[in-house]
Amino acid sequence: MKRRIRTVIGSKNCDDPVIDYKNIEYLLKFLTPQGQILSRRRTGFCNQCQKQLKTAIKRARHVGLLPFVG
Amino acid sequence: MTQIYETLVLLDNDVVRADWKKAKAIVTDTITKYDGTLHSCRRWDEKRLAYPINRKNRATYYIAYFEMPGDKMPGFRRDFELNERVLRYLVVCADEVSEEEKKLAAEEDGTEYTVPEPPEDDALEITEEEAAEDLSDDIDVEVPAEAGALDSGR
Repeated sequence: MKRRIRTVIGSKNCDDPVIDYKNIEYLLKFLTPQGQILSRRRTGFCNQCQKQLKTAIKRARHVGLLPFVG
Repeated sequence: MTQIYETLVLLDNDVVRADWKKAKAIVTDTITKYDGTLHSCRRWDEKRLAYPINRKNRATYYIAYFEMPGDKMPGFRRDFELNERVLRYLVVCADEVSEEEKKLAAEEDGTEYTVPEPPEDDALEITEEEAAEDLSDDIDVEVPAEAGALDSGR
């Protein structure tokens, strides 16, 4: 049976830059090519940071900085 | 009780090109109208949108930090929603106005600004989309003469 290798993008220590909806380059790291938000398992964020990430991405989508799809 | 808010407003580039001061006033006047105290305001960026909003592919982002009583917020939001020159807006609570933000706003005050012309490929895309939409709107369904005759016969 093949073992699936998952890469963790974020940091568990949350030392990364402040999660802000205007920091598009940073937020793009946590989106799939289809524009979906990566799960906590993939980002490696704590619960609090993942919630901040979700809010920031949704705000950025609302103002047309990030796409909803694709 | 007052709260510090951060607002990001997407301004129509046509309005910004026509008169930058008038475009700025859309945001600043709305804030002062609802007893808001403006801390800093500046042009954030002029960029391509991730998806078209009101048939526009590009917009000017204007960011403002202000203090306003919470009960005035519904009226403030409503003004932006009714304003056709505002493509979209976002209001979020802010803890404080950073020094960097104040510095950038002060730097911008003394400078004139003109919006760059959209790139050629951008303009082409708008016309193609609009043309496609116009075509889909203007499809006339012709009723065949025979079908018409059949209907009238019944």
